[in-house]
Amino acid sequence: MTNSEVIDVVDDDDAARHSLEFLLRTAKFDVRAHRSATDFLKLLPGLEVSCVVTDVRMPGVSGIELLKHLKKQLPAVAVIVITGHGDVPLAVEAMKCGAADFIEKPFDDDRLLTTVRAALSKQARDDEGVAERGAILDKLATLSNRERQVLEGLVNGLPNKSIAYDLAISPRTVEIYRANLMTKMGAKSLSDLVRMALVAGMLERKTPT
Amino acid sequence: MVETELTRARSAASLAGASYALLPTFFAYMLALVLVLMAHLARILLTPAIAQESPYLPFIPAVLVASGIGGIGPGVFATALTVLLVTAPWAHEPVLQPYGLAIFTIIGIGVAWLGERLLRTRNARVIAMQDLQFREAHLRSILDTIPDAMIVIDPQGIVQSFSAAAQRLFGYARDEVIGKNVKMLMPQPYRDNHDGYLKRYAETGERRIIGVGRVVVGQRKSGATFPMELAVGEMRSLDRVFFTGFVRDLTERQDTEARLQELQSELVHISRLTAMGEMASALAHELNQPLSAISNYLRGSGRLLEGRADPESKMVIDALEKASEQSLRAGQIIRRLRDFVSRGETERRVESVTKMVEEASALALVGAKEYGVHVSIKLDPIVDRVMADKVQIQQVLINLIRNAVEAMADSPIRELIIQSRPSKDGMALIAVSDSGSGISAENAAQLFQPFFTTKPQGMGVGLSICRTIVEAHGGQISMEQNRSGGTTFSFTLQGISEEDLDSDDQ
Repeated sequence: MTNSEVIDVVDDDDAARHSLEFLLRTAKFDVRAHRSATDFLKLLPGLEVSCVVTDVRMPGVSGIELLKHLKKQLPAVAVIVITGHGDVPLAVEAMKCGAADFIEKPFDDDRLLTTVRAALSKQARDDEGVAERGAILDKLATLSNRERQVLEGLVNGLPNKSIAYDLAISPRTVEIYRANLMTKMGAKSLSDLVRMALVAGMLERKTPT
Repeated sequence: MVETELTRARSAASLAGASYALLPTFFAYMLALVLVLMAHLARILLTPAIAQESPYLPFIPAVLVASGIGGIGPGVFATALTVLLVTAPWAHEPVLQPYGLAIFTIIGIGVAWLGERLLRTRNARVIAMQDLQFREAHLRSILDTIPDAMIVIDPQGIVQSFSAAAQRLFGYARDEVIGKNVKMLMPQPYRDNHDGYLKRYAETGERRIIGVGRVVVGQRKSGATFPMELAVGEMRSLDRVFFTGFVRDLTERQDTEARLQELQSELVHISRLTAMGEMASALAHELNQPLSAISNYLRGSGRLLEGRADPESKMVIDALEKASEQSLRAGQIIRRLRDFVSRGETERRVESVTKMVEEASALALVGAKEYGVHVSIKLDPIVDRVMADKVQIQQVLINLIRNAVEAMADSPIRELIIQSRPSKDGMALIAVSDSGSGISAENAAQLFQPFFTTKPQGMGVGLSICRTIVEAHGGQISMEQNRSGGTTFSFTLQGISEEDLDSDDQ
């Protein structure tokens, strides 16, 4: 398999950056590594960018800020956010800002490589997105009313207890609904779920009371 | 109660004074008249027996009695009447003796003056007595009303007086205690030592409790002991000595203090726990970077060897695969630890902002009045109910309030404002503002970073813990310059409206 596209890697941690570069190269990708988002943004005008893998916590411009900036200037660029300090609100924010995926360190290489490939191929054939949206909506339709409410709570970054409170059910019940809906949606992780909800257009809607 | 008793006593006293002034005066004049007339009658009847040389003799007792009872008025009246009856031309056998008349007049007036002096002394004594009675009633009403128990003992420790409050406090009736040794109101070992204390004081005059007051232990009739504050006064009247003790029950106050201490240690514990969470979180981040690098290198190396079929390469691929799995497992462990410490402990309930602010400020402002800090709390009742872990949010409040007080240590104006108001998306905003000198722009940028501090003794975890807690609650914390040049820290919490509480399963 040959990949003509170049992947831009942005991470301030030398070992993390170099290892990522190494991993992507072994998977036959071309890689440009950047020490910081600021350095990357300086070079940006002269580059042809298609896929960016960025860390979140960096001095100066953060990964989320870089994501926002890129999405504004080059909406077609796929940005994959990786972090050693992940939590749900951060994942939600990244997905809301248009990240292709949100991955917590340390990660399984397959997860990253699949996402990178999907991001690149998605760019090539954007109509696949429509099909994906249809598939997600089909899965959403299989959810019960309660499961859907729990999903809305989750993608809005609410902890289980708040969701339980909002729905006047016990936190244990929320956990059960949560497990059920993850299975039904075929979501591998919470950020995956958040991404699906975003694609389905669920995120902007407010939770009905 | 006291008021009415006092008024009653006072009006009774004034009534007695008025009747004393009016009625007897009239009565004394009548008495003088009657006595003089009786003396005149006696003189007429006894004329043969009494020498013509002493016509005033029968009148002397009348003048004496009138003066003694009525004072100068009735005395002079009796004297004048006598002179008239003896010397008048129409009188019975008028006698004109210039010397006798002069002597009698002088004696009469003298007796009347003496009688007046006597009367005044008597009056003064009666008034003094009434005054004394009134004061005693007043004192008794005060002693019965004050919440402190009062016990009077003599130098041998024998109880002389036992107030109503003392009866309530110790559970003994007055009769059970008066005349007995006061040590019956103390537990051991004080019970056995008390006589010794009294003796030592009598011998050395060294004051250990008189005029100083201290906290000691008392024992009720039921045998239960309780902490009490004892203040002792010494009273010397002529050659007699008494000791008056005022006793205040401290049970309630000590309960309150114990509760306060408990709350404080609870907060210290939570703050340690949160500091641990903060550390676990920071550690997770720091460890995840190298773990991620290890995993990437291993997986990349494995990928390079892919497709090689010789047994050694296969073994290396297998080993690389397993090593990478272990690094992922290490990441999992750290993630779980962080989740447990940062979120596992929180227990969010519907809480009142007013209550949390009041309790937290009570703790945080201990000693703040001494700094001259003026505190105003303005809370909007619309956003009173929030979703919060009370102890954690109180910790945030205490942290912000303490910081605010410290920030104003060198300011001329020390104004602390705590307020709440609705924020967007149904959030409640709580703000703590000070009138300090503000925070420089460079410090402001890293204010919420762990281990950042501007205080010489600071650890730099306070505000980062605050941020962790607030964000775990789904809120945000921020800092801005306020109009007085000081700093305002504000954070948001999920608000709970009435309809949220009312909605049930649909």
